[in-house]
Amino acid sequence: MELKIRKNGNNYIIDVNGEMDLYNSYKLKELVMKMLEKKVERFIINLENVDYIDSSGIGALIYICSTIKKMSFRLIITNIHGSVKKVIELTKLMGYFPITNSIEEAILQMEE
Amino acid sequence: MADLTYLSELKEIRVNENSPLFDKTGMHYKEFPSDYRQIRYFTLLIVQSAPLEIKEINLLEQQISEVIKNAVKHGNQCTVGKKVRVWYSFDSAHAHLIVQDEGEGFRDLEKWNDFNRKRLEILSAQDFERLADFVSWRTQKSDDNDGGNALFAALEYWDGGFVFNDARNAVAMLKSFPQKKHAIG
Repeated sequence: MELKIRKNGNNYIIDVNGEMDLYNSYKLKELVMKMLEKKVERFIINLENVDYIDSSGIGALIYICSTIKKMSFRLIITNIHGSVKKVIELTKLMGYFPITNSIEEAILQMEE
Repeated sequence: MADLTYLSELKEIRVNENSPLFDKTGMHYKEFPSDYRQIRYFTLLIVQSAPLEIKEINLLEQQISEVIKNAVKHGNQCTVGKKVRVWYSFDSAHAHLIVQDEGEGFRDLEKWNDFNRKRLEILSAQDFERLADFVSWRTQKSDDNDGGNALFAALEYWDGGFVFNDARNAVAMLKSFPQKKHAIG
C-alpha cells in the first residue's frame, strides 16, 4: 500500500494505492495521526485505487473517522467502489462514514 | 406468501454441532500452521479452486481470509505449532467452508450476539451518534490491528448460515449465489 498526500486549498487529499489489509492498514492510521499533530483539519481519503479492503482496513477507517469527528475536524472518504464498497455495505457503515462519489464532490462539500 | 420473519432471526451466530453445515462429505481439505504472515497466502490456496463467477472480484477471498485470520490469531494465538484445518467446497451456486482451530473456543459468542443485536437496532433507528459506540467489537484481548467488524460482515455475507460447533473452535458457513437465468427462445 502506498500513500500520497496532496493539497487543495485547505484540504489534504490522501491517495491510497493498493490493498488495505491486515498487514498494512495501520500505515494510513499512523499517517492521519501525524497529520493531526501537524494541525491538519480537513482530510479527503481517496480510495480510487483500492480494490481490496478487509476488517483491519475498515477498522482503520473507523478509527480515523471517530478520531476526526471527536476533534470536530472534517473527513470525507471518496471513490469507494467494487468489493471495497461491498465490504462497507456488509458492515452497514455506508451511513456512518462521510462518503462522496468524487474528489470534486468532496471538495464542494468541504466548502459548505 | 412465505413467512420470512425467520430471516431476521438468522442474523446471529449460532452454536449447533449437528448443523448440516458440519457435514464434510465430498469437501476438500487443507491444513496450515498458525503463521500470521501467511494468512492471505493460505486463503489464496483455498480460494483458487472457486469458480470465477462466485469470486466477485475478491469478496469471497476477503471473507475467507477473515475467518482464517480469526482462527490463526484469536483461536490459536498465532502459535505456529497449532494447526488451522479448513474443509471447503465451491461450485457456481455455493461456497461452503468449515474452519477449525485448536484454541479454547469463542467464549464471548453470546456477548457478541448481544452487541450485534444492539448495533442492528441502532442502525435501523439510523442513530449515527450512538452507532459510534457499536461500530467495533472490542475485548480485553483486542489490539490495534483488530478491526472488530469482521463478524458483522460475515453474518451478512454467509447467508446460508454461520454456525459454531459445541467447543466453539470450529465454524461452518455457507454462501449461496444467484444463478443467472438464460433467456429461452
